Amino acid sequence: MVTQEELIREARENGMELLPLEKDTYELFFGPQHMATENYSLILKMDGHRVVKAIANPGFLHRGFEKLAEYRPWHTNIALLLRICVPEPDVPEAIYSMAVDELMGWEVPERAQWIRTTVLEMARVSAYLFWMMGLSFKLGVYTAGQWAAAYRERFMALFEELTGARVYHIYTIPGGVRRDIPGDKWLRQLRDTVEYIKDKLKDFDNLVFENYITYRRLEGIGVMDKKFALNEGVTGPNLRATGVPYDVRRADPYLLYPELDFEVPVLKEGDALARALVRRFEFEQDLYILEQLLDMGPPSGPYKVDHPSLKALPRFRVPAGDAFAHVEATKGDFGAYVVSDGGNKPYRVQIRGPSIAHGIRVIEQLLVGARLADVPVILMSLDNCPPDIDR
Amino acid sequence: MAEEVKASWSKGEEIVRMLLEKAPYAEGTVRRERRLEFKVPADRIVDFLRTAKANGFELLLQITAVDWLKEGEIELVYQLFSISHGTHAMVKTRLPRDEARISTVMDIYPVAETYERDAHEFFKVTFEGNPKLEMPWILEDEDREVGVSHRKDFDMLGYVKRKYKLLDRFDEDKENYVI
Repeated sequence: MVTQEELIREARENGMELLPLEKDTYELFFGPQHMATENYSLILKMDGHRVVKAIANPGFLHRGFEKLAEYRPWHTNIALLLRICVPEPDVPEAIYSMAVDELMGWEVPERAQWIRTTVLEMARVSAYLFWMMGLSFKLGVYTAGQWAAAYRERFMALFEELTGARVYHIYTIPGGVRRDIPGDKWLRQLRDTVEYIKDKLKDFDNLVFENYITYRRLEGIGVMDKKFALNEGVTGPNLRATGVPYDVRRADPYLLYPELDFEVPVLKEGDALARALVRRFEFEQDLYILEQLLDMGPPSGPYKVDHPSLKALPRFRVPAGDAFAHVEATKGDFGAYVVSDGGNKPYRVQIRGPSIAHGIRVIEQLLVGARLADVPVILMSLDNCPPDIDR
Repeated sequence: MAEEVKASWSKGEEIVRMLLEKAPYAEGTVRRERRLEFKVPADRIVDFLRTAKANGFELLLQITAVDWLKEGEIELVYQLFSISHGTHAMVKTRLPRDEARISTVMDIYPVAETYERDAHEFFKVTFEGNPKLEMPWILEDEDREVGVSHRKDFDMLGYVKRKYKLLDRFDEDKENYVI
């Protein structure tokens, strides 16, 4: 029987530097190939199975989008910037377009506003389904994860019919949207899908959100309080789980949201369970918003601004100035700051993803003292999206 | 119509007046409903943000750096949001391009540490007092050494040619490639 000391001595003699720092502490490189971290890495200093220190290590997805956007004409940037947020690519499209609209001084037609709102809500629902899939997989409830993936597929099909693409839609453009709704049949299909998923929500409740195992796994881990959350720039469901009712759709309304009736769910506990439940309640509210939008029906009129510059896109120029636009994504407050110097390309574009706040300082502090098995769950409860950080 | 617009702007004007009373060194304007803009000298930014946070601007959403090559200046835009007022505010300050140094605002908004690391990596702005500026951030070590940046005078085409060794496919005399 070879003892541990002998193994360590043998390794040292052969020039292998072993990672254990002291007796029970060691460094663990968590990600980027780990499923839970999604192209992002954490360097954990462990003591046994407890995390002593965590260091976020982003940058695996850096593609320099903000710099590239300065070299491309205004409209082609949409096909670039939407890749910043993979689960809901409509959000970067919408904020960039809203900022350019503001610079141009355009009032988007009512029909385009209706379509944009519907697309954003559909994106929210499908992103929440994507998140439910991730959470279920990390908790080990694989059945619910498969269901969520399958239901998301119904929205992908609707998106494909509306925009021509499944994941990256390239649909919202400055001045409106790229094409009109395919017809009443699409609206009927959307209503059917919403009703279908609403019906299936109780299955998720039974299997995930009212499950004893979920409560045991999520309750009391990754706790943050209100003051910490505000100081650290936490937004979205993560902030609402600490008791702050901040929702961009209410605090800084855009598109048709002032006319819609919905609730902003708020919980006070601030732990992973509260974050998960806030997301689950919001999912219900989003389905309700979609129903309201369908009851309202798309207003008649043009689906984009009638402006001569939209007919010759390579010569599309934007007056000098700067604008900031932000929307409520499922991950938090998603914003774009666009600067123009009057040319046919943006002077500077910056996208503010919510995960730049959640994924660095917040995660580093929440993980201290957590068990190794809780690391993926805390990451998932924050809904960390690494492309936001790397851009 | 004009009166309606004015009524919705009056809340913003009130906030601007309240902040400027406490910080007379700044300039403030109302851009539109729920959008304010402040211009602050670089040496007073800490004072101004402290005043802003005490008066309801709880969230720091982003620190954006913009490189104005012609003016020889780097502009820093602090994107603040006030949940209690429901108002977004841009706090702008300008630094000389070749000596871009400013004090950190970490002790007011701790999240600024992350944004400052980002601005330091891509715009070479030094934030005095931020302990993590030299830590590895997004770029790889070799790119950090080359000095890859988002500044306007960065030679992007030259970098691409060197890095990806595509010299034979490119025409040296050409400066622009249409995508």
